[in-house]
Amino acid sequence: MSQNIPGTAKKGIHELGAETKVGWDEVTQGVVLEPFAEPVKDVAHIRPEERNYTDFSSYTATVASWRVLKPVYNSDICIDCQNCWVWCPDTSIISRDKQMLGIDYDHCKGCGVCVEVCPTNPKSLLMFDTNENLDVALSQWPEKKKKEK
Amino acid sequence: MAKKFDINEIEVWDGNYATSQALRQAQVDVVAAYPITPSTPIVEGYGSYVANGYVDGEFVMVESEHAAMSACVGAAASGGRVATATSSQGFALMTEVLYQASGMRQPIVLTVVNRALASPLNVRGDHADMYLGRDAGWINLDAFNAQEAYDLTLCAFRIGEHLDVRLPVMMHQDGFTTSHKAQKVNPLQDEVAYKFVGDYVPVDEMLDFSRAVTHGAQTEEDWHFEHKAKQHKALMDSRTVIDAVFADFKALTGREYKRVETYLLEDAEVAIVALGSSVETALLAAEELRKEEGIKAGVIAPRVFRPFPYDLIRDVIDSSPLKALAVMDKSSPGGAMGALFNEISAAAYTTQNRPLITNFIYGLGGRDFSVEEAKRIFKEQKAHADAGHITTPIQQFSGLRGPKLGFFETKRS
Amino acid sequence: MAITSIKNLKEFSTVNERFEGAHLLCPGCAHSMIVRELMNATDDNLVISTNTGCLEVSTAVYPYTSWDTSWIHIGFENAASAISGAEAMYKARKKKGTLKDPDAPVKFVAFGGDGSSYDIGFQWLSGAIERGHDFTYIVLDNENYANTGGQRSSSTPIGAHTSTAQAGSHSYGKTQKKKDIVAIMAAHGAPYVAQLAPNKWKIMAKGFQKALDTEGACFINSVSPCTTEWKFDPKDTINVADLATDSLMFPIYEIIEGHELNILYRPKNIIKVEDYLGAQGRYKHLFKPENRHVIDRIQKDVDAKWEYLQRREEARV
Repeated sequence: MSQNIPGTAKKGIHELGAETKVGWDEVTQGVVLEPFAEPVKDVAHIRPEERNYTDFSSYTATVASWRVLKPVYNSDICIDCQNCWVWCPDTSIISRDKQMLGIDYDHCKGCGVCVEVCPTNPKSLLMFDTNENLDVALSQWPEKKKKEK
Repeated sequence: MAKKFDINEIEVWDGNYATSQALRQAQVDVVAAYPITPSTPIVEGYGSYVANGYVDGEFVMVESEHAAMSACVGAAASGGRVATATSSQGFALMTEVLYQASGMRQPIVLTVVNRALASPLNVRGDHADMYLGRDAGWINLDAFNAQEAYDLTLCAFRIGEHLDVRLPVMMHQDGFTTSHKAQKVNPLQDEVAYKFVGDYVPVDEMLDFSRAVTHGAQTEEDWHFEHKAKQHKALMDSRTVIDAVFADFKALTGREYKRVETYLLEDAEVAIVALGSSVETALLAAEELRKEEGIKAGVIAPRVFRPFPYDLIRDVIDSSPLKALAVMDKSSPGGAMGALFNEISAAAYTTQNRPLITNFIYGLGGRDFSVEEAKRIFKEQKAHADAGHITTPIQQFSGLRGPKLGFFETKRS
Repeated sequence: MAITSIKNLKEFSTVNERFEGAHLLCPGCAHSMIVRELMNATDDNLVISTNTGCLEVSTAVYPYTSWDTSWIHIGFENAASAISGAEAMYKARKKKGTLKDPDAPVKFVAFGGDGSSYDIGFQWLSGAIERGHDFTYIVLDNENYANTGGQRSSSTPIGAHTSTAQAGSHSYGKTQKKKDIVAIMAAHGAPYVAQLAPNKWKIMAKGFQKALDTEGACFINSVSPCTTEWKFDPKDTINVADLATDSLMFPIYEIIEGHELNILYRPKNIIKVEDYLGAQGRYKHLFKPENRHVIDRIQKDVDAKWEYLQRREEARV
């Protein structure tokens, strides 16, 4: 199984520090950075996957290499409570139309907060080695825990 | 819509009032300021124009000069015309933000009324504050009297806001000598002045919500050097814009400004190089000496302290028969030669002429610089010229009580 | 003003994020949870200023920005002044008619850490609040100079170990109490002042909305558990925040117009402060017998503060 999360073609394409180092004549005036390539009104009403990001937006960068463990999402158990969404520090829980769709592995640093705040039993998110195949991870999902008395 | 202010063709204004009128006529959108002697009347003036409807702007009285310049940067990044004023300790407190304003390429106009820096505390005029800010990446214009303070403040907006420049501009005038001395001023009518300055053109403004902008990003070793080089290039290249704005101003008013002003220099054998109100003192001395003793004396005055006019200083030195220069520094040099001396010497070193150059530290804390003292200095230069070498210490103190103070002799066998 | 629905998390989660990933904050950092929540609480345009600190050095490092709104950083101490200038310019240009889109709704927000807000930028903050610019100042309070490696600030609580208030054979860490910045800001007469916590997301979002919607200078102090300097596992950020609010180390309350105090969260089961302290490495030395008195003192202070807040609330003065 692979995730199907929305995103533009530019999401996570740049390794931090690996960008082309242009000369003094090509850096921006006053160190100004613009995240969008064209004027855009009410960006709060435009979904990220519909935005025209410039290479200056960190949306186009990836921090995947920071990760040791990654959260894996199990949609069969998830109740779409959005706890993981509200507390993700890396804008990496992708929800659309009140539904959790999956994890943005370009921007997830593997902190594990989402797993901690997941209320289901068993959890709908669990940490695995960052290189683990998603299908293999899902095949290892634990059974529902019985309440301790 | 702001009310029109009735202005006579000839007014008697002091430098501060003239400056505040220029801020009003430029219809500055935001002045964020903190009071300090002797620059306070400039912002008080702007405040009164706001209070009485003569300008459609916001007057923000903040809690320190650091906050004043910080609010100016925030306001400038929001796409409007911004100015403030300060002096001395206030300037010193602002210094951190002066560097940030120029690095962020915000065309703020700072009208500086020059005053000594403590300690000891002193409210009078010298150039310690101007010198403190000389590496801050700003364009520095220098007015020698109230008329020039008015004219150059209007020019400052045009220069700094020019799309090829987008750098902040300081407009200096001497504390009290210029700022508080009522002088004859020929102002422009409001609409003429505003037309000269022009509408503000926003660049990367934070209030254009269709374009998100990030101001003040961090750069480390991979990027910092390139950004600072680009900024330096803009400052160096602003020379052509300054020349063009001065030319436009001359066409409008008949009043001519040059990046380096020269007086009586064509046949001058000796000259004083100075900044600020001392220029007029030196000129009076030169005129009298020419009549009284036939000494061919002239005056060189950098109108633009940054970007430093190396080009024009070299031209000036090579196009006159100068043999000896006295460079006047009105700031305690702190264990070196005066800054102006160093700049002038560096420029002169690559001339054919290579005159003898000595340095005078003078006028600290508002000590008077008299015509008589200027004459004495000219005569000393004449002695160097006649001897063909420097006959005094290279750095001397002028107008100082107590035993003569000087440093560094040239060795002559 | 258009306000995002925060009726429940499902509704809330339909907003479109304006704070991008691949910023450089530590894994599990609460700063970005708080920033996201603020930005998601409104769909108005935002002009944001930020003091130098963890948030700034992690979200605008050339050539990348994580901000999809107008954003400015100048220095360590002056975000409050920067936003004052921006707000003043907005007013001036609105008057003059030079704004590109004069009817577009906009909110002005400043972020600072506790170092820049309680200490080096305190005067700048006080000035901006006193002047009453229409903005909201938010402290991301992690109780230390985390960006420079964990030095003490005037927000660091008594007993905490920091690199400049070290616990050792002759010291139990910081010997001074945390500065009560909420009371100081309320004493400015600010129309809305609150202390919030990211684990109480709904109270926080409501508080943010209230502050954004209140005209004048509003102030919010938010606890921001710091995995790196408080020394807890990154996954536990919200757990530690729960301990902070449930032990009342961080009571959640608001003060309106400088006097009307409302407690916004009353823990069902108030836990002992040592449960909160014990979850963090920065307090581990307090559990030595010779330092027990510090824990007792902290508990006493917390109890007294809670008593004070409840009485203030009851008094309705």
